[in-house]
Amino acid sequence: MVGLSIGEKHFIQGGIAQDIRTDGRKRLTYRPISVETGVIPQANGSARVRMGATDVIASVKAELGKPTPLQPDKGKVAIYVDCSPVAAPMFERRGGEELATELSVALQKCLLGGKSGAGAGIDLSSLMVIEGKICWDLYIDCLVISSDGNLLDTLGAAIKAALSNTGVPKVHVAMGPSGDEQPEVDISDEEFLQFDTTGVPVIVTLTKIGRHYIVDATSEEESQMSSAVSISVNRHGHICGLTKRGGSGLDPSVILDMVSVAKHVSEQLINKLDSEIAAAEAYEVES
Amino acid sequence: MSGKTATAPTTYSPSPTQKKRQPIFKDVDWIRPDGRGFHQCRPAFLRTGAVNAAAGSAYAEFGNTKVIVSVFGPRESKKAMMYSDIGRLNCNVSYTTFATPVRGQGSDHKEFSSMLHKALEGAIILESFPKTTVDVFALVLESGGSDLPVVISCASLALADAGIMMYDLVTSVSVSCLGANLVIDPISEEESYQDGSLLITCMPSRNEVTQLTLTGEWSTPKIHEAVELCLDACSKLGDVMRSCLKEAASASQE
Repeated sequence: MVGLSIGEKHFIQGGIAQDIRTDGRKRLTYRPISVETGVIPQANGSARVRMGATDVIASVKAELGKPTPLQPDKGKVAIYVDCSPVAAPMFERRGGEELATELSVALQKCLLGGKSGAGAGIDLSSLMVIEGKICWDLYIDCLVISSDGNLLDTLGAAIKAALSNTGVPKVHVAMGPSGDEQPEVDISDEEFLQFDTTGVPVIVTLTKIGRHYIVDATSEEESQMSSAVSISVNRHGHICGLTKRGGSGLDPSVILDMVSVAKHVSEQLINKLDSEIAAAEAYEVES
Repeated sequence: MSGKTATAPTTYSPSPTQKKRQPIFKDVDWIRPDGRGFHQCRPAFLRTGAVNAAAGSAYAEFGNTKVIVSVFGPRESKKAMMYSDIGRLNCNVSYTTFATPVRGQGSDHKEFSSMLHKALEGAIILESFPKTTVDVFALVLESGGSDLPVVISCASLALADAGIMMYDLVTSVSVSCLGANLVIDPISEEESYQDGSLLITCMPSRNEVTQLTLTGEWSTPKIHEAVELCLDACSKLGDVMRSCLKEAASASQE
């Protein structure tokens, strides 16, 4: 993946042990985050998020669909990630496919909550139009433009920004006679309902290198990791999802410690992201 | 299934979701559908050597969840693969078409396959078979809840049966959060109503977690409780698996 000499490897590891990384950051400091919203006019909502050299686009499209019979009072959300070979040659064919599936599964776990819908970042019942008949299907598609580590966190942030940029069109239902098979709907192209994103969690990935863990690892640092734990935390400090990457095992007490560190870090990240999103939205309105 | 069967409810078994049951889970004390205690696992039935053609294999039955895993290799990696001084692990999980109440596709389960790979790769000493590949094929004969944990535990048993070097056996247990209660080793019916779930895969004697996933909203004390519950169950399952291997070994000596 990343070709590093033994000296460079030691330099990275030694720096992390002394709390100063190759780019001058501390272990728990993020790279500068920049958010741009409304980058794709065809989508209902979109955002481009950059963390250092990692660059991703998320777009949200809403389509009317039919709810599943098991959950007639809820809409559906699907998250797809595309790792195009434009970003890195190793994303070609299977390499990109595998990473893309892994990322989309992790995002679904972190953002969509449990089966009953508890802890979901997106309130599925708000996507309901007519119970059992019509609901909104949200398709969240992410594209990795450039990859320099910490993809999952960046994608999570991009989805959060794209969702707060999303306007779901208002639907007027013309109720036919009762027991109607498919009621007539009229999608307004002027009135939009803003999406509530206060519950959308942020994802914090702690990468373990040596005995320490760092946030927002670059791909050079990621090549030295023994394992990484991604934890999604919402505004209330509750954990909404957790996945682990990397082969080597972890002591249970280390994991619990990581959870508390992630909670602490997430507070700063949420505030930072909120202000960035607000600034981006304001800029979009101006221009 | 034809429409006629609907008139005879005794023979028609629909999906495991029964709307009326749901409020029961919200109470503080309800009785689990199979009468277990909240912190009680299903009895495990484990056997090695289920498939003759394989280098190693195992069959596991936890309640209604029935899984068969066979291990092939180590055998030469495909020519197209690059040289590697450590071994490769190839995992595949698939469901039979009749595993679920609704007839499924019976195709590969990509998500479970990659989870199985991640759960096992940390435990296998890959350096012990360079340039070669070990294939782990898991087939879920019947899905009765907690499928992935059963697949993972069964796969490590099959790997041990095949004589693949491992640091330790890998055991896996999941916990469901239903209302205020934590329920260990959930069945499908409980899984379909869960508010959250935690899956832990660990190596019990080394006290190392190789894989964990968590969904739903959790507070920190609850995570602590669930992790402890899982680890305790994992170490007990490890003992059961070890005794199963010992039994098989002593039977083959006689």
